[in-house]
Amino acid sequence: MTAALWFALTVLLAAPESPGYVAYQRANALFVKQDFTAAQKALDEALGLEPKLVPALTLNAKLAMANNRFDVARRNLETALAVDPQAQYAQFLYGLTAYLANDMPAALSRFRAAHRLKKDEPKATLYLGLALESTGNTSEALEMYREAIRLEEAAGTLQADTLLPGIRLQLVLGRADAAEQWARQTLQLAPEDRDPRFEYARVLLALGKPGEAAAAAEKALTLRGGIATDVQIHYLLIRAWRESGQPDRAALHAATVRAMEAGGK
Amino acid sequence: MPYRLPAFGIAAFCLAYLAHSAVKPAQIRFAEVAGGAGLKFTLRNAAAGQFHQIELTGGGVAVFDYNNDGCMDVFFANGAAIPALKKTGAEFYNRLFRNNCDLTFTDVTEEAGLRGEGYSMAVASADFDNDGFADLYVTGVRGNMLYRNLGNGRFADVTARAGVGGGMWSVSAGWLDYDNDGLLDLFVSNYVVWEADKEPRCGSPEQQFYCHPREYKGLPDQLFHNNGDGTFTDVSQSSGIARHTGKGMGVAFADMDGDGLTDIFVANDSVRSFLFHNLGGGKFEEIGLESGVALRDDGYAIAGMGADFRDFDNDGKPDLVISGIINDSFQLFRNPGGGRGFEDYGQRTGLLLATRQFTGWSLGMYDFDNDGWKDLFFGLSHLAELERYLGRDSALPNRVFRNVDGKRFEDASAGAGEAFQKAAMHRGVAFADFDNDGRVDAVVTVLNGAAKLFRNVTEGQGHWLALRLRGRKSNRQGLGAAVHIHLANGRDLYNQATTSVGYAGSSEPLVRFGLGDSARVEKLEIRWPRGGTQVLRDMGADRILDVTEEVSK
Repeated sequence: MTAALWFALTVLLAAPESPGYVAYQRANALFVKQDFTAAQKALDEALGLEPKLVPALTLNAKLAMANNRFDVARRNLETALAVDPQAQYAQFLYGLTAYLANDMPAALSRFRAAHRLKKDEPKATLYLGLALESTGNTSEALEMYREAIRLEEAAGTLQADTLLPGIRLQLVLGRADAAEQWARQTLQLAPEDRDPRFEYARVLLALGKPGEAAAAAEKALTLRGGIATDVQIHYLLIRAWRESGQPDRAALHAATVRAMEAGGK
Repeated sequence: MPYRLPAFGIAAFCLAYLAHSAVKPAQIRFAEVAGGAGLKFTLRNAAAGQFHQIELTGGGVAVFDYNNDGCMDVFFANGAAIPALKKTGAEFYNRLFRNNCDLTFTDVTEEAGLRGEGYSMAVASADFDNDGFADLYVTGVRGNMLYRNLGNGRFADVTARAGVGGGMWSVSAGWLDYDNDGLLDLFVSNYVVWEADKEPRCGSPEQQFYCHPREYKGLPDQLFHNNGDGTFTDVSQSSGIARHTGKGMGVAFADMDGDGLTDIFVANDSVRSFLFHNLGGGKFEEIGLESGVALRDDGYAIAGMGADFRDFDNDGKPDLVISGIINDSFQLFRNPGGGRGFEDYGQRTGLLLATRQFTGWSLGMYDFDNDGWKDLFFGLSHLAELERYLGRDSALPNRVFRNVDGKRFEDASAGAGEAFQKAAMHRGVAFADFDNDGRVDAVVTVLNGAAKLFRNVTEGQGHWLALRLRGRKSNRQGLGAAVHIHLANGRDLYNQATTSVGYAGSSEPLVRFGLGDSARVEKLEIRWPRGGTQVLRDMGADRILDVTEEVSK
């Protein structure tokens, strides 16, 4: 499970008191601790007491998603949303299941609903942006990215992961200068994370600073985690070193990629 | 005192205004005429709910003049029953259509002996034996066929003797003279290891879909050297080509560095693209990474499909355009020369964003309005498995992008005619001027649908010149020849002879130029593949010019 997905799943729920609520709360605490077996047991208890308890159904969906059972997750969310169509987090999670299953029409519709129900919730805003971008609506996507960043800044919870989609889209749009500020912010927020360093290097290369880009990318290569692969970083380094007038260093990275290919990596 | 233009200033202003009016771009337009022309072909992939990977590819089409009557004929590659991989009925036959020179076609498959065998994918046409008749190489799933054109309307299967039968799943092929010995050699792009009874299953039991290519093992490409006696030698290993495993789709050839040796580009599906630099001496070096054409700007491997290797900005250096699938964006790489690799021009020409929501198969860089700038035609349709992603049918209308002064590409599809707006599961596209009116047409295959013939009916287009080359020392069709045209207005235009265009197909061998307002060509230089530059001067436009290679005594 990606860090982004885990983060999305661990957003705390606000649910009203109910007969099965205590069992649900126990299940939720266990889920956050990643004790999924115990969480499932507590959740079964909660849903046995109250089959239409929306937070319990939503948590059941999250557990199903953690087990890669998106079909089960959807069924639980459909039940939850039939009980309470205003359940913002259930709408968001439904959108997430659709997004991860490449069902963009459903993702868009659910993320829009989640965003409408709680406009100050940054994750729904961010994912609405991602779905919009996937369906070609880049201008509205960028607006959503900006809004998600603004919401997290206002709440004092700005995360590097929230900035990254905006940086990538700005680069696609050919606006490296606009991406630069966000790229610098990601570095401040997560200096030891690979993705922010890689995107920063991309921005620098696009800005015509190949030497600085190479330095940033070499650093990124030493960092772990994230979604940027070694090949992606090596490829940037090949171009950055070439543009810096150091073809020998570029050749080393090209040779590394070829060795990885030969090794089946 | 009001400002007044001096007399010569007024004249200059008027001339400039008139010149501006004259260069008002013509709207590229196509009329779809396949049905009326008798070009009736349906590509069958034999899909029956089993989600076999081979159903997704194929659809190759070739345009060539098999009977040398000056009119371009059409050959379609077709599928076969699965898992038998046999053409169990006429619906699976490959088809050859003779152009009757009046824009009608006659199916001559039977008399030509070209029904074919197996599950065919692609076709590459060229005169491999220099006898003056264009031959065919048809690729397929575990079986490729070489058909020699006997010159009497019939073709002979010479695969076994030639030694080019393949045995892998080959998606595209192309002819080039890599060693400039005057004989066309054969390059074959191979896709993945596939067996019907070992097909991986993807999705859930209730909702199965086609697997991602990552579920299949890639294959090396192949290069066959033409021995000149009807046989070929597999030089894939010794040349360095087979050292690299990919998932080969479209292939394109050009002499990218002007060293007189033809280089090879291979678009790979979901793994990085290959650029094989021809070092001479029968050796190639793969330099895709160093040249900046291997991956997308962010290092992501697109699902490469079709490719064309031509000069879009008329600087004399061939550039690269590559199609991919939705959210890949099609790629455009500019060749700045000087060994500096390629520059990613997708974003700055507008092609990157404009194609981000498309899935492209074959493509071609041709000057459809003859304004002197090569435009782009893309055959489009999403993969069927993307229907859920899209929330609608996977069929798409094709797209044509007008090249604006070699600086940007403008989507001209909306005005390209009513038939051009129709969505379908387009696959292969091949290009030729079927009615010899100087406007480049396109034939397009449609998965489980009727093939389309887009007749170019652009009005107000510029002048043109097409070269039909005849090599004497060089290969008979002059494939690999680089042509430079100089116009009296100072413009320089470049193109090269190749039939390897797009994906899985083969286009006419003529070298075409749109000339804009120029009705004459001041100077024309042909650099033949075996060396030597031939210069012609002061030629009239709007015609096909036959040029035979000069051979010094």
